[in-house]
Amino acid sequence: MTTPATAYEIMAVTIARELRDRELWFLGMSTGPQTILLLTRLPIVAMELAQRTHAPNSWMLVAGWIMNPVVGRAPNRMESEFGNALGEWPSEGYNNSLTMSYIAARHEIDVGFGSAAQVDKYGNCNTVAIGRYERPKVRLVGPINQPGHFVLFGREIIIMPHEKRNFVDAVDFVSGAGYLKGPGSREALGLHRGGPCMILTDKAVFRFDQQTKLATLTSVHPGITLEEVVANTGFTHDYIPADVDDTQGPTEEELRLIREVVDPNGVMLPR
Amino acid sequence: MLEPTMEPDVKLRSLSEAAALVKDGSRIHFGGMAIHNHPVAFIRELLRRGTKNLTVVSHVSANDVDMLIGAGRVKRLEFSYVGLEEFGTAPCFRRAVESGQLELSEYSEPVAFERFACSARGMPFFTTREMVGTDLPKVNPDIRELSDPFGSGTYHAIAAAEPEWVVIHAPLADKYGNILFFPHRQLPEDLDLTASRTTRNLIVTVEQIVPHDRIRQLPYLNLIPRFRTTAVVELPFGAHPCSCLHVYDQDREHLEQYAKAGRDPRMFEQYLETYVYGVNEHDAYLDLIGAARLARLRHVGGGLQ
Repeated sequence: MTTPATAYEIMAVTIARELRDRELWFLGMSTGPQTILLLTRLPIVAMELAQRTHAPNSWMLVAGWIMNPVVGRAPNRMESEFGNALGEWPSEGYNNSLTMSYIAARHEIDVGFGSAAQVDKYGNCNTVAIGRYERPKVRLVGPINQPGHFVLFGREIIIMPHEKRNFVDAVDFVSGAGYLKGPGSREALGLHRGGPCMILTDKAVFRFDQQTKLATLTSVHPGITLEEVVANTGFTHDYIPADVDDTQGPTEEELRLIREVVDPNGVMLPR
Repeated sequence: MLEPTMEPDVKLRSLSEAAALVKDGSRIHFGGMAIHNHPVAFIRELLRRGTKNLTVVSHVSANDVDMLIGAGRVKRLEFSYVGLEEFGTAPCFRRAVESGQLELSEYSEPVAFERFACSARGMPFFTTREMVGTDLPKVNPDIRELSDPFGSGTYHAIAAAEPEWVVIHAPLADKYGNILFFPHRQLPEDLDLTASRTTRNLIVTVEQIVPHDRIRQLPYLNLIPRFRTTAVVELPFGAHPCSCLHVYDQDREHLEQYAKAGRDPRMFEQYLETYVYGVNEHDAYLDLIGAARLARLRHVGGGLQ
């Protein structure tokens, strides 16, 4: 019997099962070590796992420019989006020109990954400022590529550290447009596709109700109680439906693939 | 090779001569992206000279622009990101914005890139839909609404970057200002090439000056021809503590030190005193960092890729 799945492994299979064959997946990079783990390393493992279990024709764009890297041969230092180390990563192709963003403008990207300092009940994200824009309490790094993720891509997987202050009723600044102010908001702006499909945390999964567009708790990870989720969620709307599932952890085979094939040296996910 | 009968202008300049070209109040772009290829030695010289009131037109900036902001030299910033990647947020940028001391004009990242491509194409503006739904158009009066004359709906019109000065750091050049790049390039270098085509006021700092003959042997790697270049400056490790791709890695220890120092105004002053004002020229800075430290950052053979 192998050792039980870690929270990261549970999150990785949750993402992998959300990914489909023949899709284009876009991963940007991020700021700060914790975000790099959740938003860079975790999705990379999930994407290769999906490619090995059910999505051989999918195509991953890591940092937007490295195509289908061999995750198991990742450089030890891969925190920087365009560093020398990343440039030596064995992969299937490169797109090293600013024209790489044209593929997104053409709506060819199916799935993106995002995180933020705040996410709200309609899946709007904020990477710009906490407080008033002109004189913020906390100035964050800036919008970067988040606007396009939520407008141009087919769907966005939001990955968050599960802390109360990150889950708010309304973000202070919309840098990633979720369902904005609720049903019909996106359509009113001519946004007929795209938007967030889930909020994945180290404790639970939220999805968006088809009618109300509100974030709704879908499943709680094994080993986590509903009380822990509630204690760490700042949403004030009723986000707990009558039936909340347990998040399906990895199968024996998925665990083996993660540990022995995808990330054999434990470079990506803490063990 | 046939000897030319007349020699072209020699554009090799000292760091202080080149930095003197940039006047107070200039609209300027510093090349590089994230924590790579920024012309940091040039920026240290601007700091020593006291150059101020700058409008910085950027896309993805780090300690380069953060340092200028921290010293109070930036009036206005047009950008998408200022941060230190794995080393966290940009401390001086953060403090300046939180105290309302910096005029901002922010865009999504591909839009910030495309502003330079638009300038390079000689176009005054371009259109995009990717910021629809965000609060960016509400806070940035430079993002204007415009209807597609062909009927597909509402777009945002974005002005071209139009920098007055562009300063980039590149691997190699000759004394006439032909700039050589390596065959394998990444996004920071591609963005620099695009930026180099947006102005005729171009300053290039390079790791090394090579004989003109090298250019004749490798014309396909001369990606900035000398007619574009105003001045070229030889500055080995001129991007330190950032990386110069294929030549050396970012100095992680120094960037960590920067991130920490920047959080406290007094410690940041101390940082500037030690690494900028306390050294009168680039070689003294390199001596201060130390040969052993720099040698370990080298990426030997990187340019072969």
